[in-house]
Amino acid sequence: MQSLRFTALAAIALTLGVSANNAHARGVPAGTAINNTATVDYTVGAVTATVTSNQSSVVVAEIVDVDVIVQTPTVAVTPGATQQVMRYRVTNIGNGPETFRLVMSNAIAGDQFDPTAASPAIYLDSDASGTYNTGDAPYVVGTNDPVLAADGFVTVFVFNDIPAAAVDGNTGRSNLTADARTGTGAPGTVFAGAGASGTDAVVGSTGGDGVAQGEYVVEGVAITAIKSQTVVDQFGGARPVPGARIDYSIVVNATGTGIAAAAAFTDNIPTGTTYVPGTLRLNTTALSDNADADVGAFESSPQPRVRVQLGNLTAASGTQTITFAVTINSL
Amino acid sequence: MKTGNRNFIGAIALIASALSGQAFAQSQDCIVLKSTAEIEKEMVSDQGEKSKSLVPAGKVIPGTEVVWTVTANNVCKQPSDKVTINNPVPDHMALVPNSATGPGADITYSVDGKSFAPAGQLTVQENGVTRPARGDEYKHIRWEFKNSLAPGASAFARFRAVLN
Repeated sequence: MQSLRFTALAAIALTLGVSANNAHARGVPAGTAINNTATVDYTVGAVTATVTSNQSSVVVAEIVDVDVIVQTPTVAVTPGATQQVMRYRVTNIGNGPETFRLVMSNAIAGDQFDPTAASPAIYLDSDASGTYNTGDAPYVVGTNDPVLAADGFVTVFVFNDIPAAAVDGNTGRSNLTADARTGTGAPGTVFAGAGASGTDAVVGSTGGDGVAQGEYVVEGVAITAIKSQTVVDQFGGARPVPGARIDYSIVVNATGTGIAAAAAFTDNIPTGTTYVPGTLRLNTTALSDNADADVGAFESSPQPRVRVQLGNLTAASGTQTITFAVTINSL
Repeated sequence: MKTGNRNFIGAIALIASALSGQAFAQSQDCIVLKSTAEIEKEMVSDQGEKSKSLVPAGKVIPGTEVVWTVTANNVCKQPSDKVTINNPVPDHMALVPNSATGPGADITYSVDGKSFAPAGQLTVQENGVTRPARGDEYKHIRWEFKNSLAPGASAFARFRAVLN
């Protein structure tokens, strides 16, 4: 089966998950005792002796620090869609175990609509699978605040509904905030005795809280591409034997209310076949194989493929049919 | 901990005391060794002048620089010779290069605790290759005081290390 690739800019948003940054906890675990003892050697007359000092110590206090990142910075949605998920990672980058409270907020400036929180809106990735499934627990403030060891993280899913009145291109922002239950505030603020093992907790450079933002983008256009093929062998039959010719036809269609801007169709020439020069057509108009002023070309690198620029497609553009032919190579 | 020649017999003590004319009580150490941990705090006076002073360190967060000070006080009536203070760099801490001080002392360092050398002359092995040791890789510090420590006098050694 050939690979069919379709790329469109602008109006179709990428929904690839972004791999998380490796946020690392800093430092020796809170509560660790660091001890120091010195010795002195000396002589009095002919006698040498050694004396040991007292043990002086410091105890490692707990740094309270958290990092929140959004793993789905842009989520493509349609108007009126419900339960649209956004994914975040909350990491304890302090040096002691810490409990975090999570808050989602949708009233954010700079967008065209406010997502509506689903109910429940926040879920914890209880099975640590990285994706939401029905075993994951709904988050309820104060009852299942995530407890994270130093360097530990939790994946959080946030669900929102999209207003039906939103139109193509509108964006709606949503924030997830995590704050440390031990305390937040200016870096250096001390919560005496509140750290792990009874040591002090000290707010780190993050202030003990973190926030990340994701954005829902309404894309009103959907693109479909349906491919069919016809095989004609050199004996007048339809067997896919070496030397036979395969004619491909791909029908591309835009539906919905938006625009797929600068849509570009590419299709790799399948392994074991060779492109038949001069067979590339768009809606029966022949396109030259060279890259020139017309919208199509056959490219031999990085791998053999055909490419056709379809321009800005909307539902009103109608179907776009791309055809080209290959022959099956000899073995 | 190195043990000195403590197993001398009483006769030597008598001889020593006869030579010095004074008693060196073998049950009493002549040097009292004290170690402290402090951090440097910046103070601002009412006039807005900034100054730094050392305060006891209790609970410190990773990244804090701790000032470790050792004082050796001679409590006997004889001078102490060849006074040498040894202090390993505490666990989970990295020595601040060039921070070791001690008036009147030759300061040497060691990575393995066995061979000591002045700063800049130590090496480490990394992936089978020998390279110069960095200042923060020194694990032991030694102060060898050049002069005798007079009765009642104190020798002073200090270094700084950062908590990992």
